[in-house]
Amino acid sequence: MYLEINDLEIAFATPKGKFVAVKNVNLEIEKGEIISIIGHSGCGKSTIMNAIGGMLTPTNGSVTINKVPVKGPGPDRGIVFQNYSLLPWLSVYQNIYEAVDAALTDKTKEEKKAIVEKYINMVGLSAHREKLPRQISGGMKQRVAIARAFAINPDILLLDEPFGALDALTKGSMHLELLKLWNLENQSKTIVMVTHDIEEALFLSDRIVVMSNGPAATIREIEDVHLPRPRNKKDIVGMPEYKTIRERLLSLLMDKVEIDDTDFYKGKKVAAVA
Amino acid sequence: MTTQTSSPALELASSSPSIRSTLLDSAFLKNLAGSVQSSAYTIGGFAILLVMWYGISKLTADALPGPVTTLSVLWDMLRDPFYDYGPNDKGIALQLISSLGKVFLGFALGSLLAIPVGILMGANPFFNKLFYPIVQILKPVSPLAWFPIGLAVFQSAGTATIFIIFITSLWSTLINTAFGVGSIPADHKNVAKAFGFSTWKYITKILIPYSLPHIITGLRLSISVAWLVIVAGEMLSGGLGIGFFVWDSWNALSLEKVIAAILIIGTVGLLLDKLFSLIEKRVSYAN
Repeated sequence: MYLEINDLEIAFATPKGKFVAVKNVNLEIEKGEIISIIGHSGCGKSTIMNAIGGMLTPTNGSVTINKVPVKGPGPDRGIVFQNYSLLPWLSVYQNIYEAVDAALTDKTKEEKKAIVEKYINMVGLSAHREKLPRQISGGMKQRVAIARAFAINPDILLLDEPFGALDALTKGSMHLELLKLWNLENQSKTIVMVTHDIEEALFLSDRIVVMSNGPAATIREIEDVHLPRPRNKKDIVGMPEYKTIRERLLSLLMDKVEIDDTDFYKGKKVAAVA
Repeated sequence: MTTQTSSPALELASSSPSIRSTLLDSAFLKNLAGSVQSSAYTIGGFAILLVMWYGISKLTADALPGPVTTLSVLWDMLRDPFYDYGPNDKGIALQLISSLGKVFLGFALGSLLAIPVGILMGANPFFNKLFYPIVQILKPVSPLAWFPIGLAVFQSAGTATIFIIFITSLWSTLINTAFGVGSIPADHKNVAKAFGFSTWKYITKILIPYSLPHIITGLRLSISVAWLVIVAGEMLSGGLGIGFFVWDSWNALSLEKVIAAILIIGTVGLLLDKLFSLIEKRVSYAN
């Protein structure tokens, strides 16, 4: 298998002792797959992402790509962070260029510039290239972050709640843009995405990984999504399979809430899932 | 403020009369009113100061020179600032230039040490733990206490003055730099990590841009300290400079000159602060 997570455990040392974020996580991902990891806040979704990204070191088990264990961050994996993480003092263009410059060390300056041009055009931001992050909207910032991750031409794209901060309309068009980019690269890029939005996961993914609640969270269930591609939001909503999976995901995530209702979860988080 | 806003407004007004009235009505008049108001406060404040000064001067039967005599002495000093009648009698501008030279030299040397050490302390907990106790002990020491050390090491009063400016002005910059570098958000660090920034790229594209506003704030505090210290330092070292000028004037029993020098010292200090607050505004960024 292309990307393998074997018996992964990640724990953090805290003043109160060892805190196990995730454990016994086993997941195999094929090249070109789009996988969503879904679950409640604090269920270790981002922890798994960071383990694949090499930002965290497993305390047990391993993450391997093409049988090679992940030892740290690398240009084969592009990360889109939860809150865009653009550098506020660099322009749109520079934000992408510095990442390309750092990650693609074997390219010449001209080649790097051409790559930045290509991706800045791809996300439709060439008119805003000289602007600073604070001068552009949230959707545009997200596009910069996505262009930056794509531009280093990674085999695996890691998206950590990439559209969480966007309004519904912008979110919808960002979904299309993401799929457009994925298609442009011949669907060869593997995408792992963390989300808490069931519709988003259904529209984009080949498989949806449902996490159990933390601490010591693990994979509760994996749903296959056999909806035909290219997908159209309006059409798939009417399909029986869409409804079945949606029901299933809702009940998986909702019964969790009911069990642990007492004082773990506030009304806000329930609303986010429903 | 008034001159800055009025000139583009007038240019526009002359080129196209149609928008003249709207411009005059809104932004221009608002700015004008704002600066008239703030200068009214300044003038009002100084009027109170002058009245009090005049009153105290009268109460002490002119032992403290009054505003009129002092300002005429100040005017004489400013009218011919560059005269040079030998080593002990030079114009006020020459004194100021000498002082400013020493201040900037000591301040620059202090900053050259403070910024790299501050970066080291902010970026690395080991160096922070190692150096922080030293900073805490040496920071509160009066500049005058350093003077004998400077004299002993450099065998020259002029160099010792520069040394005490160096040693007292570096702390604010050091502490602010360390704080700025220490508070770089994890988000920015993660970007560097995820895209494999080299150390050099991390320093130039993340560390410096993020901490620059903090560093400049540190420099602004440091230059104020340096300017504070120079007067005391020159009183001890003698020679040329505004501090020695104050001491010399006191010895010549000219309190008018002492007060005039105080006004000049205050004004230069204000200008130095304004200069750095301008730089501060230029380098600050908003998220």
